[in-house]
Amino acid sequence: MATINASISISSNIMNYPTSINKSMTMKKLTSCHGIDETTGLRTKKFGEVTTAAVIVEHDELTDDKAHMVYVRNTTSAKDGFFYIAYNASAAGPTTTEVIGKLYGGDWMLFPYNGNVNITAASDGRAERVLEYMVFADGIVATKG
Amino acid sequence: MATTTATVSISSRDLQPGNTLSINASSTLMKSGLTTGLELMEMGNHSIATGTEFNLSSALGEVNGSHYVYICNTTSNDEYYLEWGLHDTMIGNLNSGQWMFIPWNNAVTTDSEIEIEAKNGTCTFEYAIFKTAWTLPTAAS
Repeated sequence: MATINASISISSNIMNYPTSINKSMTMKKLTSCHGIDETTGLRTKKFGEVTTAAVIVEHDELTDDKAHMVYVRNTTSAKDGFFYIAYNASAAGPTTTEVIGKLYGGDWMLFPYNGNVNITAASDGRAERVLEYMVFADGIVATKG
Repeated sequence: MATTTATVSISSRDLQPGNTLSINASSTLMKSGLTTGLELMEMGNHSIATGTEFNLSSALGEVNGSHYVYICNTTSNDEYYLEWGLHDTMIGNLNSGQWMFIPWNNAVTTDSEIEIEAKNGTCTFEYAIFKTAWTLPTAAS
């Protein structure tokens, strides 16, 4: 059994008093004390003028209705460029309800994913930028992985 | 200008044999890709019974904006988990003791609120939402 640890630290002075959130976790399988022990690996994908949208996590590679964790980061340093990250069969744009959010330059996200529908990325198409992503899998479909 | 910074560290010595995993990333959260920091936030702590849906945030903010959401399932029972999603589309299962952090663009007003549902037992969770702009309701909903 593998052990995968993840910690988050958020600091903010939006309010008059400083806000500090610090939390650590060990990634676990759904309703289990056992740790997640599979991954599809750390991947990078370059988006530019040719490719502006892609499926970055294919749901049929993963077991349905589980507690996978997905990490995604926009590695671009410029803040004005972004990706739409969506839970959808194909890449989705701004007015689609399946869009989770916009990942600006340097931003990251880590979220639980049930493996039932694809995770997609669509760049704003303005410049070449690279997306980094990794799935911590609570079950991989052997014939697809 | 307010400054909000979010940092993540992911590590494992045995997930990939012979290759220690170490991911570290940090980002200063800005308004919609500009150079101005976020200026609004809300934090909370809730407990919801199994099968109960909870709207973490109504869609009253800037549409297609730049917002960020942190949620931690603080329940200690391994059997209890939170299902989360946008509107009626459930996206993932947050185990006890686990946290998540996402950008949220509030893609479509009234159809992109963040929903949470407790499974297998009563779950407690804490959350924080960092926002670009927000509109408070003018009457009880």
